[in-house]
Amino acid sequence: MSNFMYVAPEQMMKDRAEFAQKGIARGRSLIAVIYDTGVVIVAENPSASLYKVSEIYDRIAFAGVGKYNEFDRLREAGIRWADSTGFTYSREDVDARALANYYAQHLGDMFTEGSKPLEVELLVAQLGNALRPTKIYRVAYEGTISDEPRFAVLGGDAETVRQRFLRTEGGPIGLAQTLQHAIAAISGPERTIPTADLEVGVLEERGKRRTFVRLSDAEVDTLRQ
Amino acid sequence: MGLPLFTPSNDPGPSFVKFIETQGKDIMSALDSNLSPHATTVVAVRFNGGVVMVGDRQATGGYIASRDVRKIAAADHYTGVAISGSAARGLEFIKIAQLSFEHYEKMSDAALSLEGKANYLSPMIQQNNLYTPLTVVPLLAGWDLSHSVGRVFEYDGAGGCYERNDFAVIGSGTPFAESTLRLGFRDDLTREEAIDLAALAIYEAGDNDPSTGGPDFVRGLFPMIVVIDQNGFAEQDDGFTASTFRTINDRRTQSRGLAGGTLR
Repeated sequence: MSNFMYVAPEQMMKDRAEFAQKGIARGRSLIAVIYDTGVVIVAENPSASLYKVSEIYDRIAFAGVGKYNEFDRLREAGIRWADSTGFTYSREDVDARALANYYAQHLGDMFTEGSKPLEVELLVAQLGNALRPTKIYRVAYEGTISDEPRFAVLGGDAETVRQRFLRTEGGPIGLAQTLQHAIAAISGPERTIPTADLEVGVLEERGKRRTFVRLSDAEVDTLRQ
Repeated sequence: MGLPLFTPSNDPGPSFVKFIETQGKDIMSALDSNLSPHATTVVAVRFNGGVVMVGDRQATGGYIASRDVRKIAAADHYTGVAISGSAARGLEFIKIAQLSFEHYEKMSDAALSLEGKANYLSPMIQQNNLYTPLTVVPLLAGWDLSHSVGRVFEYDGAGGCYERNDFAVIGSGTPFAESTLRLGFRDDLTREEAIDLAALAIYEAGDNDPSTGGPDFVRGLFPMIVVIDQNGFAEQDDGFTASTFRTINDRRTQSRGLAGGTLR
């Protein structure tokens, strides 16, 4: 006599989704916003060395929330994919949409077939040029990919942060003001996040091939004023 | 290609070459052809605030295959890499070196040390040169951020990497360029003196070695001059290289091709 117990697929998906959501909700939220000349990604991160926001390629940035070891492996895979695609073809053939799709497939596969779903949400941002648009893609734990028109929020409390940010949103504005709105949205009205606990990455045209930069605390302080 | 994911035990880490090997692509060892033009002479000279690199522009395969090859490239902001030997392999080598250093930096969130970059190239050279006739010999020079000093690394054909305290030369014009550098090198060279000496070394090589191209006044093509100091890799503009080589050439014309007892 076996101990096999029937679980309805609906129930199984629901359990898995709850499991992943719980893991993700434990982490702090992260916001990415397209501003007039670039993309800024802001995360609340007390660690100054375990990054949530990273460079993937010349015009592509990555951000992850949830379990660090899980999204960091996906970050590495993304860099490897981008560098070898650019090496095989050309640098201009490395496209954020293709990468976001690969992430979506992997997260989807892990959600349905893996021994446990990955407890992460990912963001792939691309700075546009003559060939491609500026884009923010958000990939959820179960592999849903969404193309966010202006900004995206990931992590615990995402909906609250989203609503808060929507209230400050107008047309495209400069980096300083966008950053202030983004920080206000992830902090909420009751608290102020010290600059040391913020991680800020920017994709911006600076006359160089590689457009990703991490902003130092001093730079963030200047922009916050 | 799908997402390259690995388990911790087979993860290639931040090395691009190791990673690409796991993909079944062996980037530096397949044998294609014996017919490959050769790129020639490059020198690197240390001075008190950095390193100067000068390289001719010619690729030769029995005839002159190209007059405007760029044999010195920025491997990253503080590092120059130059090649001699098979031009095809050499240029690919430069591409892999550039990509590898950037790959490491992105994967690890830290730039490789200059010595780390120098050592990284050794096995690539060894693998290429031991298994194909398309030999490549590189030269690496850069500003060492951890020690605030310009450093030069040369390689032998088997991949051995040697740091030089004075200067290094690669390519077929080596005997002539090296003689010039041996006579003219001092510990206290200034940036300008180092540029003049390195340019003169390439001029000498171009004058004596059939495979090394000298300044080409007809086409306005001049050897590349690069300075790497605390501000990073800086290729000097055409106006500057033209006037540097014109000065040497005018002096030589006045003395009817003789150095005339001085390094000039």
